[in-house]
Amino acid sequence: MKSRSCMRRVAGFAGILLIHGVFGFAAYAAGPKIVAGPNSDPKCFAPWTDSVKLFQFTQKKGPYRIALANGFIANTWRIQMIKTAKAYASQPDVATKLKEFKVVSTGEDVAAQIAAVNNFIDSGYDAIVVNAQNPTAFKPVIKRANDAGVVLVAFDNTLDTEDAINVNVDQKGLGEYWADWLVKNIPNGGKILEVRGVSGTSVDRDRHDGIQGVLKASGKKWDTVEVIGKWDDPTAQKVTADAIAVHKHFDGVTAQGGDTGVVQAIIDAKHPFVPFGGETENGFRKFCAKYSADGLKCASGGTGPAQVAVAIKTAIAALEGNVVPQSIKLPLARVEDPNFKDGQDFYSEQSDNFFVGNAFPTCGINFTAQEIMGQSEANQ
Amino acid sequence: MNEWRYRIGEHRQTLLAFIVFLLMFVIYVSNHPAGFNANVVTTAANKGVLLALVAMAQTIVVLTAGIDLSVGMVFILTNCLASWIVVGSLGMTALGVIGVLLTGSLCGALNGLIVIYGRLQPIVTTIATGAIYFGLALALRPVPGGDVNSTLADSLTGQLPGGIPASLVALFIVVLVIWVPFRRSEIGRAVYAAGSSEIAAYMSGVPIRRAKLVAYSLSGLLASMGGLFLTFITYSGEASAANGGTYTLYSIAAVVLGGVSLFGGAGSAIGAIFGALMFRTIGDLLFVFDLEPLWQPLFQGIVLLVAVSLGSVRLFRIRNRLDLFG
Repeated sequence: MKSRSCMRRVAGFAGILLIHGVFGFAAYAAGPKIVAGPNSDPKCFAPWTDSVKLFQFTQKKGPYRIALANGFIANTWRIQMIKTAKAYASQPDVATKLKEFKVVSTGEDVAAQIAAVNNFIDSGYDAIVVNAQNPTAFKPVIKRANDAGVVLVAFDNTLDTEDAINVNVDQKGLGEYWADWLVKNIPNGGKILEVRGVSGTSVDRDRHDGIQGVLKASGKKWDTVEVIGKWDDPTAQKVTADAIAVHKHFDGVTAQGGDTGVVQAIIDAKHPFVPFGGETENGFRKFCAKYSADGLKCASGGTGPAQVAVAIKTAIAALEGNVVPQSIKLPLARVEDPNFKDGQDFYSEQSDNFFVGNAFPTCGINFTAQEIMGQSEANQ
Repeated sequence: MNEWRYRIGEHRQTLLAFIVFLLMFVIYVSNHPAGFNANVVTTAANKGVLLALVAMAQTIVVLTAGIDLSVGMVFILTNCLASWIVVGSLGMTALGVIGVLLTGSLCGALNGLIVIYGRLQPIVTTIATGAIYFGLALALRPVPGGDVNSTLADSLTGQLPGGIPASLVALFIVVLVIWVPFRRSEIGRAVYAAGSSEIAAYMSGVPIRRAKLVAYSLSGLLASMGGLFLTFITYSGEASAANGGTYTLYSIAAVVLGGVSLFGGAGSAIGAIFGALMFRTIGDLLFVFDLEPLWQPLFQGIVLLVAVSLGSVRLFRIRNRLDLFG
């Protein structure tokens, strides 16, 4: 029985090949229609620039089969990303739209990730969300996906293309957000400690440019001391301690990562608490809530692993035939002093390394730690 | 009759690798949601051929009782080079392909020269040259990008009439044109002799140096074919150290799965090809069986261990290792 159905499948495939040969490419829709608008949800799906194309895919009937093709999985960010993806897929109003949500991680090998996406296309998935190992390697895959009418959405590590949807993180905007907070909370300008990330990365450069741009444009007098914290708590803690030892006093601090370590260094050096613009580590927010009354006025914003939920939401919107931009600017997951609430913006019971930037208010997306931690990393 | 038994014995490991691969592939395909169709097979073939080429490159060095830890970096370097020069008109593309293959052969020959005349251990030599090759790759492609002749890329990663993956046919041709003549040549026999017992081979007047140089150069050539094929799959080049290291390790795993002895002198590149296909299928099983991502490496490790053990079961039953050749 099994082999007969298999034979039939092969025969069916041969038939399709034949039809394909006879009728050429007319039978395939070559990807989404490019439309004039309007954007179905400009608040959540903010276009990267005004000139970004607007896509409309052929509407498909739900519930959908969606796959997440992840690359490597060897750090906490990726693990939390996968847990968040599964938590999002099982939120009641999302779960009703999904027939299947499958996760595969293929490691560093880009050829294996390409093969996984090809397999998802051939298996008839409606949409595929990718965190790409290589921005340029997916050209043939993008074409195959478009030919098959599959929605492809890239996030975090996006694709160099105008033919698939990219959810981009606005790193410069994040730097601007932190600097805005310092400008607002330090009335007369002063000396700022800027703890930078990993040198040579575009993320570090863009965040730095955003911070400096806003400070310069504010009209106040600023003096910035830059140190390299490498997005890492121990490194950031050490360089902050060194900077305090040399410069004695800062009027404000901004850090791209390793923020828990930076605050710890401030405490250890008995430096007075000052306004702080930083990332979204749980440990950092714990400090922000605890020392708010003592002067640690924080703005905590970032682009954590929860961005996968925005990518999935985009994929579902595209499958429903809604108009979405080709290149989307990810909204910031953020919260400012005095709004840090235990159990909502941070979790006193979770580890310091848990990423808590899980609320995207403009997209109607929010997670509790319980929702995320309750999910195994299992495929489903 | 006796000779026939000898031949079976000689290819026993290769046959075993083929059978285990076939079993795994049947399990994979019969659980695949799309079933057995040309697209599924092509996807698996492309990924498998990529590793098979690198595994063949590793095999030839391993046969000399050496090991090549630069094989993944030659693969990456030639990928980056191909993303610059395998473009444009038919003539330009052909010149580009020749350039890429020549570069790979030169990298391999350099390894060989250092090992033979520098008298350094292959493992140390190739760690060093691997770093050099990766440095060159990084200079060629500081950021991922580039292009490749898409007609050529599509035809080699696509399907022939009847849904046969073109990459498998290309691999078959590589075996016919490179491996089979090499295996049957005097130099090929010298490589096996040098790998079995270098001193005995030397005493018997076997041209060891020439054999080793040819082996390393061929290894570079095969690695560059892998690099070229990676360019066809990705339409671009990327100097990724992680990817280079991954393929070096995978190639050693494939070699062992394919029944090639890491002590040298025994095994065949065809076994390594099935080893590579088997290794890829182990990875593919993760796609059809829903395993937790964090358990996937453990699962892969266990399957790998079982597969390698299957190949060495015979070792438990024999009293003398010379029996293996009887």
